[in-house]
Amino acid sequence: MPKQEEDRILRVWTPILLRTILIAAMAVLVAGLVLTYTYAPDYFVDRYNAVQQGHLIGKEKFGTLIERIHSGNPHAVLTIGLFILTLVPLARVAFCFILFIRERDYTYVAFTAYVLAGLIVGVLVGRVG
Amino acid sequence: MLEILINLLALAIGAGFVGAISGLGGGVFIVPALVVLAHMPMQVAIGASLISVVATSAGASVAFVRDGWTNLKVAMVLECATVTGAVIGAYLAGVVPTVVLELLFAAMMLQSAYFTVSRRGDNILSQGDPLAEQLELSGEVRDETGAMVRYEVVKVPQGGALMVVAGLMSGLLGIGSGALKVMAMDYIMHVPLKVSSATSNFMIGVTAGAGALVFLARGDVATTIAAPVAIGVTAGALAGSRVLPHIKVEALRMVFVIILVLIAAEMGWRAMSGI
Repeated sequence: MPKQEEDRILRVWTPILLRTILIAAMAVLVAGLVLTYTYAPDYFVDRYNAVQQGHLIGKEKFGTLIERIHSGNPHAVLTIGLFILTLVPLARVAFCFILFIRERDYTYVAFTAYVLAGLIVGVLVGRVG
Repeated sequence: MLEILINLLALAIGAGFVGAISGLGGGVFIVPALVVLAHMPMQVAIGASLISVVATSAGASVAFVRDGWTNLKVAMVLECATVTGAVIGAYLAGVVPTVVLELLFAAMMLQSAYFTVSRRGDNILSQGDPLAEQLELSGEVRDETGAMVRYEVVKVPQGGALMVVAGLMSGLLGIGSGALKVMAMDYIMHVPLKVSSATSNFMIGVTAGAGALVFLARGDVATTIAAPVAIGVTAGALAGSRVLPHIKVEALRMVFVIILVLIAAEMGWRAMSGI
């Protein structure tokens, strides 16, 4: 595939990818806030006051969050919405990584693989840190 | 709840709007707004800001990528440096005392203020260095006459070194470090200013995303704060980018500088007085 075609694919599909995941994340966050306002407004106020005093919930298991989403837990919905939001750049780099593999452009496969690895290391650092 | 939610959304929309029209990004304004006005701990403000920066970068970079202003290859090379810095910075943000974070934030505000008053014209090179040529980093940009001009890139390692610092500051302080990124590309690597701005905007998402993942995985993100802040900053940034073509940003430049200096003074004062 010529370089111009590679550039065209990136310029057409990257914005679509970014916008789609961003809209999905925003929809989940708005849904989470509506759920909180409807069913748990006191929880929101309590958490707001606790956070002002520096009390955070701390580490949570991803599986537990998913289970709580099924029961419409507002905190779980908001957390998953924020996770989806952080997936926006991850998905974009993963898309470029796959494109460069198809192109056999191994220099840029290495660069994008490094960035992907860095993002995964970030999660690991957060879990153990 | 509604009153708190409206206050948070108003703060975030304001920060996103000013961040977009100043070109400095919402993070620079939302962190001090949350700390000073909403009385949030510094680490909570940083976590919420990092996530909102991811959202605004994704939203704002779309048009630049589509219209060809972003140099995607320069971004992909330099993201290796910014992600490295951001992961280290986000880790350090969990262990560094708040007073250090506040002092660093004040220093970064002064750097942004300096950047805002010291913008200069492009210095387009017709010959790149061997590494930049090997990585095919050159590109084309439209000049004042509308003609396409080819630009070459130089000093990739030096630019990359400054990008590690930019990533470090992003992860540590919850900002996009756009001013530092643009300086590295424009001043050191001779990437034209508009391309540097568009490319920086594109890279900010990955940089802030790396930091945000550390904060989220560590459980240091307060969802009840971060969710409305992310929505508000994104909405404010969207409104700012719509208004931007219709206002004279040059006339507002000194206002931005004064705001940045005031934020630096406030954060510096908080650090020194131990508030």
